[in-house]
Amino acid sequence: MNDPLSQRLWFLFGLLLAAGLAGALLSPHFLQTSTVGYLLQYVPVLGVLGMAQTLVMLSGGPGIDLSIGATMSLVGLAIAAMFGLGVPLLLACALGLGIGGLLGAVNAVLVCVLRIPSLMATLATFFTYSGLALALTGGSALGGFPDWFGVLAQGRFLGVPIHMWTVFVPLAIVLHVLLSRTRIGSHIYAAGNDERAAFLSGVKVWRLRFALYCLSGVIAGLAAIMTLSWFQAARPDAGEGMELLSVTIAVLGGAHIFGGIGRISGTVLAVLIVTTMQVALQLANISQAWQLAAIGLLLVGSVVADNAVGDRLRARLRRAS
Amino acid sequence: MWTILTSKVQKALWPRGASSRPFHIGREALLLIALAVLCAVFASQSEFFLSERNLTTVLRNSVDLSVVCAGMTIVIILGGIDVSVGGVLAVSAVLIGRAYQLGMPDWVVVPIGLAAGAALGALNGTIIARTRVPPIVATLGTMYIFIAVLFLVIGGVWISGLPASLSFLVLGEFLGLPAGLYVIGVIYALSWYLLRRTPWGQHVVAIGCDEGAARLVGIRVDRTKIQAYALLGLFAGLAAVLYVARLRNVEVNIGTNIALEAIAATILGGANIRGGTGSLLGALMGVLFIKITQNGLVLIGVSSLWETVVIGGLLIVVLVLDAFETRRVS
Repeated sequence: MNDPLSQRLWFLFGLLLAAGLAGALLSPHFLQTSTVGYLLQYVPVLGVLGMAQTLVMLSGGPGIDLSIGATMSLVGLAIAAMFGLGVPLLLACALGLGIGGLLGAVNAVLVCVLRIPSLMATLATFFTYSGLALALTGGSALGGFPDWFGVLAQGRFLGVPIHMWTVFVPLAIVLHVLLSRTRIGSHIYAAGNDERAAFLSGVKVWRLRFALYCLSGVIAGLAAIMTLSWFQAARPDAGEGMELLSVTIAVLGGAHIFGGIGRISGTVLAVLIVTTMQVALQLANISQAWQLAAIGLLLVGSVVADNAVGDRLRARLRRAS
Repeated sequence: MWTILTSKVQKALWPRGASSRPFHIGREALLLIALAVLCAVFASQSEFFLSERNLTTVLRNSVDLSVVCAGMTIVIILGGIDVSVGGVLAVSAVLIGRAYQLGMPDWVVVPIGLAAGAALGALNGTIIARTRVPPIVATLGTMYIFIAVLFLVIGGVWISGLPASLSFLVLGEFLGLPAGLYVIGVIYALSWYLLRRTPWGQHVVAIGCDEGAARLVGIRVDRTKIQAYALLGLFAGLAAVLYVARLRNVEVNIGTNIALEAIAATILGGANIRGGTGSLLGALMGVLFIKITQNGLVLIGVSSLWETVVIGGLLIVVLVLDAFETRRVS
């Protein structure tokens, strides 16, 4: 309990309970078993994007990927276009992940090789990718997917969506293990905490960050595939707003914006909080304006809270060393 | 400490010693050449492009962005950024629209718009200065909130048919030149004076160069930050006044792109995103570059959907060139 990070997790638990309670008070339809399935439908897409953003932030720099939503839109369109040209769907999906990786690699080159501040670089690619997605399609959606493809995001196993079982949970476990049990994980934390010290002790800081930007693109591709399966169509604005939501989730989950602090478990809890809140507001028929305002308040509030916790943690680390 | 800071500030204020690099072409000159090339290309493709009417249209369309960009340049020199400026503009504009609908006269409506802008800007500044939240995150959050306010006030319907009593500010003519030119001139002269001829401007540059050192030498960092963000908000409020004067309506999606365009124009104009350096004249030329590109693409028959791609691509190119430049210098 004295560890500020686990305090953070308890705080998030409390917030999740509060969001659930608010949902129950706002709408009589909230406390039903069907709500859980409905809620979990939204979790995987947001969740994987939040985890990608967490990784990019953790490695420091300061790192941020604002192009993550635009990458997602563009990959979705690419998969739909390839499928339209006769490429088998599964191959198209695999190629889509590759394209996501390439789009991420563009960010990686700009940030890690040319050393352009991540904020500016990914803002520019965000502009370009989302513009490309709109301009190449003229704003219309691409569809025509076979029915079986819908199983991934529309099918249920034990009442829980299939993409929860096959994508979100495995990815969360893999990334959690990667961060907490492997050398790469400790290198990521080291790079985020003190770039110079990490470099001097042999961590290839910028190579690591390069890989994480590419990974962020691949994960955006995963999100695109799940969205395709869900809506059976690729929309040029599929990822709109996702960059802000993913940053909100990462920060709310305890990832420090300057890197070095954060956990996947926090991100997972944060996704649950954000989706619970959104579903509750939707069920209560509260206008979209308030949903936007709630996310904004959550983002600002969580960073303010995080800075307080982060400062204490840093002070503690300094005293310990 | 004073010497460290002053040397950094000096380097920021006069970044390129003319003596050390005699053949160096400044950013503004480079932009001027690029603008000329751009105009030549568009003029060769469309006869209408260089007509007086079209050029006046480009200028009228650039007025709001230019005004916002002056404030954005100051905030970026300070080492900050504000992505919520579109939201500030939207909230000011919707308040102006509602005030007009209630039958208020110009001399009440305009101060309402300006005050709303300045207040929201000051709110951003206060959050950033007092809580040390990174400006990008704080303003992303407030942007959501401002857009929510817009939705709540506007209720999903355009406000249209507003009075034309202020239209002369943008659409009129004075001494044979479009009135918008004078508005831009006044705002840029004022910003230049504030930034380059007052102690406050030197403080802004000092904070952008090295915030810690600026704090140590006794500059009131927090207060200066709040003032700079409030100034940007005030300019966004003025842009809202000019927007309503020009179009006489308030759209639901007002201000969506203006923050990104303003940041792109400022960076194009030579501002360093890490703070410390930037050029008002360069930013103004960045605005012209963006607006001429948008206008020219439509004239030569390219879908306006390609605008964002072109601006984004341009921004990447400039960032890459800047990165090579910094690498060469260091």
